[in-house]
Amino acid sequence: MLEISDLSVHYGHKRVVSDVNLRLAPGQTLGLAGESGSGKSTVAMSVLRLLPRSARVDGEILLDGDDVRTMSWGRLRAVRWASASIVFQGAMHSLNPVQRVGDQIAEPMRLHGTKGNVRDLLEQVELPQEKARSYPHELSGGQQQRVMIAMALACGPRLVIADEPTTALDVVVQAQVLKVLKRLVAEQDLGLLMISHDLSVLAETCDDLAVMHRGELVERGRTREVIANPQHPHTAALTAAFPVIGDPAHRWAQPETTEPRTTEEPLLAVHELTVDYGRTRAVDGVDLTVGRGEIVALVGQSGSGKTTLARTIMGLRKPSSGRVIFDGAEVPRNGKALKAFRRQVQLVLQDPASALNPRHKVLDAVAEGLRVHGIPDGIPDGEESLVTAAVERAELRPASLYLESLPHELSGGQQQRVVIAGALVLQPRLLVADEPVASLDASVRGEIVALLLRLRRELGLASLIITHDLGLAWQIADRVAVMHQGKIVEQGSVEQVLLNPSHDYTRALLRAAPNLGPDLGPQV
Amino acid sequence: MSRFNAARGLSRASGGISTFLSHRAGVAGAAILVVAALVAVIAPLLIPADALDVTRVTAAPWQAPGVEYWLGTDHTGRSVALLVVQGAGTSLFVGLTAALLAVGIGTLVGIVSGHFGGLVAGALLRVTDFFLVLPALVLAIALSTVLPRGLGTIVLAIGLTSWPSTARMVRAQTLTIEARPFVERARALGGGHGHVIGRHVLPSVVPLVLVNATLAVATAIVAESTLAFLGLGDPTRISWGAMLHQAQLHGAVPQRAWWFLLPPGVAIVVVVLAFTLVGRALEAVVTPKR
Amino acid sequence: MRLAGRLGGAALSLVMVAVLGFFLFRVVPGDPVVSMTRGRPTTAAMQAELRAQFGLDRPLLSQFWGYFTSLLQGDLGTSFTFRRPVADVILERLGPTLLLVGTSTLIAVGLGLWLGVRAAWRRDSAFDKATTGVALTLWAVPTFWLGMLLMMVTGDLFPSRGMRDTDTAPDFVSQALDVGHHLVLPSITLVAVVCAEYMLVMRSSLLEEMHAPYLTTARAKGLRDDLVRRRHAVPNAVLPAITLVFLRFGLVVAGAITTETVFSWPGLGLLFYDALTGPDYFLLQGLLVCTAGAVVVMNLLAELLYGVLDPRVKVV
Repeated sequence: MLEISDLSVHYGHKRVVSDVNLRLAPGQTLGLAGESGSGKSTVAMSVLRLLPRSARVDGEILLDGDDVRTMSWGRLRAVRWASASIVFQGAMHSLNPVQRVGDQIAEPMRLHGTKGNVRDLLEQVELPQEKARSYPHELSGGQQQRVMIAMALACGPRLVIADEPTTALDVVVQAQVLKVLKRLVAEQDLGLLMISHDLSVLAETCDDLAVMHRGELVERGRTREVIANPQHPHTAALTAAFPVIGDPAHRWAQPETTEPRTTEEPLLAVHELTVDYGRTRAVDGVDLTVGRGEIVALVGQSGSGKTTLARTIMGLRKPSSGRVIFDGAEVPRNGKALKAFRRQVQLVLQDPASALNPRHKVLDAVAEGLRVHGIPDGIPDGEESLVTAAVERAELRPASLYLESLPHELSGGQQQRVVIAGALVLQPRLLVADEPVASLDASVRGEIVALLLRLRRELGLASLIITHDLGLAWQIADRVAVMHQGKIVEQGSVEQVLLNPSHDYTRALLRAAPNLGPDLGPQV
Repeated sequence: MSRFNAARGLSRASGGISTFLSHRAGVAGAAILVVAALVAVIAPLLIPADALDVTRVTAAPWQAPGVEYWLGTDHTGRSVALLVVQGAGTSLFVGLTAALLAVGIGTLVGIVSGHFGGLVAGALLRVTDFFLVLPALVLAIALSTVLPRGLGTIVLAIGLTSWPSTARMVRAQTLTIEARPFVERARALGGGHGHVIGRHVLPSVVPLVLVNATLAVATAIVAESTLAFLGLGDPTRISWGAMLHQAQLHGAVPQRAWWFLLPPGVAIVVVVLAFTLVGRALEAVVTPKR
Repeated sequence: MRLAGRLGGAALSLVMVAVLGFFLFRVVPGDPVVSMTRGRPTTAAMQAELRAQFGLDRPLLSQFWGYFTSLLQGDLGTSFTFRRPVADVILERLGPTLLLVGTSTLIAVGLGLWLGVRAAWRRDSAFDKATTGVALTLWAVPTFWLGMLLMMVTGDLFPSRGMRDTDTAPDFVSQALDVGHHLVLPSITLVAVVCAEYMLVMRSSLLEEMHAPYLTTARAKGLRDDLVRRRHAVPNAVLPAITLVFLRFGLVVAGAITTETVFSWPGLGLLFYDALTGPDYFLLQGLLVCTAGAVVVMNLLAELLYGVLDPRVKVV
């Protein structure tokens, strides 16, 4: 049905896809995995000739035997959506914001003269009829993605291309959308080409898996085999990034540190903390402690209040009631004392690219904290020696190679190391890390996790890790606290909470969490 | 190592310059502005005072362009060419100072209302929006009618009425920057208002302000010519707008004295267009294409 | 934002307009009566009468209260030059200005938006470069100068002064034709300058949308290029453009002043010119309050219209 041979794509002199060969038979499901910039989306777009004019496409793309590359415009328009359709990434922006979704679903049917109606399509994706009259912004992210799926099925294509269809969705919603997609593909015997950076998503949906790296296809085979026994080092790195909850090999935190140190006073203690945004209660009576040198994972879906809790602990928002106690003293709300507190607690944000001012060199970014707080006396060459030490601690060696760089000249992993160095330079005692690896490429993720663990080992640095990713908690944390609708519903040691959950919500999260474990795989 | 780093810094700076140079229209605009500035500075030194003094000129009025007066003479017999050259100074001076005033006020208001929350910011935003909607030129006309005639009045009238768009833009940029995680990181590091504004907000606002200022000069020059045309200019100074005021007053149109009408107008258009083109080229340098 | 909020905001703006009108003419250094009567034969009694009219003999707050209450009743004071109520003079001149500004705005908006869409859709094409170049040049042209040039170039082809000839037959058709004939040059002048602005606004608004992912969706569905533009890109891009069109309404007002001055078009713009050459402060104050008030109301209308057109904005 789809046959891609020797596909190469150039932008100017830059080659983004080289010599890719792919075949897809009707009813077959193929996952195309790769990190950002690996060229996987370019391959998807080339199937319907949707690349910008500046792209030069070589090779052959046969769709039902016709070469898409050389088709006339009229033929191409007829093929688009009727033979193959696309579920685009980021439904919010891929739907026309000022048109009712019903009209958008109906548009290709009218255009291609297909029979059928919007009502049936909405039913198939389990959306109520009334939603046809909604505008995209009135729907939730999951509903928007269902609309995209309904739209893709409107003209009864035999091939559906799904480009990161669940990225930016919550784990629970992601599981629901994937279920709908899987069911429809099976029922209607569609061919599915699914593109994702997330191996676990592909593992759950596709029989076959192809892995792209720097524009080349590096591995291809049955999904289970590829994941269980990766041949190419890049595939191995990708699979390693998805820790299997319960697998001791993926438990990197050292066992001896997980012993609760009850004798000691905790480094950070949160008592009955409540935070309101206007009328909504974001954080509702939370109790939480982080011991000295302990790594605690605060787990929850987006909107659970975990980020607000972290901001309040940092003193970036004011609580409505409750107390935050750091090292035996209540955290001051303002003034010099707050500034002094901030020296001890440092923040690491999710997206390092935006956590660094694009105009500031690495030197300035790392030294920012020193410039705010002043350099301790008696250090020769103050700033430079401290910055160099911090940068090398964050494993950017030699530091002199990086100090003059601007953030955009660094990779995502290097940027996150700069952010961490900027925190280390003040010699803090607690690190609050908000999704520290979520926006990093899979292969870099492990390195940053290892770095955080090493800092704890060498410096005794405690961390509060905020994440939606249970796998990360399994990998790194000593204790886990699960947050749901502003409340901590369960907390305890990692083994206890993740292997033996007592709360329904924790169980729901664990069920929804994508997993590459041996017992999983496509369940058709 | 330091030489390597210096080279890197140099290549970054030259990247901006080469982007500007790739906008041919912008380069042409910059060249025109250099010439106009030179003319404005040098001309008054070379032109004899007699040539522009109505009581001492010897030529006949309304002379068409010829060998002696190659842009003709005005209603009093002064050389139009000399008048245009002399007028460059006034137009450029008013344009630059009024734009500076407007952009200065706008930047201050924009940063204050964007960075600080609360009542003051709310009130400032309200006032900005109010003046943004009002026709600036109409206000400028009203102001210069009630204030005594003079160069200062014109600058004040234009400057005080054309700041809101800058304020709006600076405020938007301030809000954008403040929403970025790196500002949150700076706050978490313990940085106060001064640190956030000085290290993060200002450096990202300045390039946009520069672009805005260039375009503001263009608007201010048109505004100056309009005020002068309506007879609200400084009566003791020659400016392009004032020349057109005289042309209208003394019937250049019915007399078909095109040589009195065209040169000052063309001068305005060329200089204003030059500022606009430079501004657009700078904009392209500041905001890279997606 | 809620409807009540919008209306409240507009009401507050109108009050601010009134305050502005009041203080603008109290910051005059020296005695406004002296500067108004400069160069005219006046007696001390006349000056005293004027002073009483301004209320300059009363404390500032009481002056403002008097001004504000009469403003609410539609009383804008008495014109010094016309010796009649300012409100009457303004109403009398409203018609010609509405005719000129209305005609020009309609043409300018239509033409500007159309050109802007064409230019943006084929970015960097010859058409785009030509129209953008012309628009930038027109943007740099002072309105009054363009008017004078047009007048000189067309010679006797079109009448260049006033709104109608005295010797036209009194029947409706001849009158309308005569006014239309007089309208040609002033409206071309106004359209040329304003249209350039609208074209540039529409062009950049559409360019913003050009890379929107939903356009890729539309193409993938198999839509023809012009359908992608008509059904998806333009409906999205035209919304911000409309707001800007209304925000730039002040530009039209300013353009009307100089255009009417050049062509002696007997509207509010020419009245403005008369008021400032007087100077006739009461008339100027009245005109300022009225035009600013009109702009505020136009802006409110724009916001309400936007709420109707854009489903993402909830006004009611």
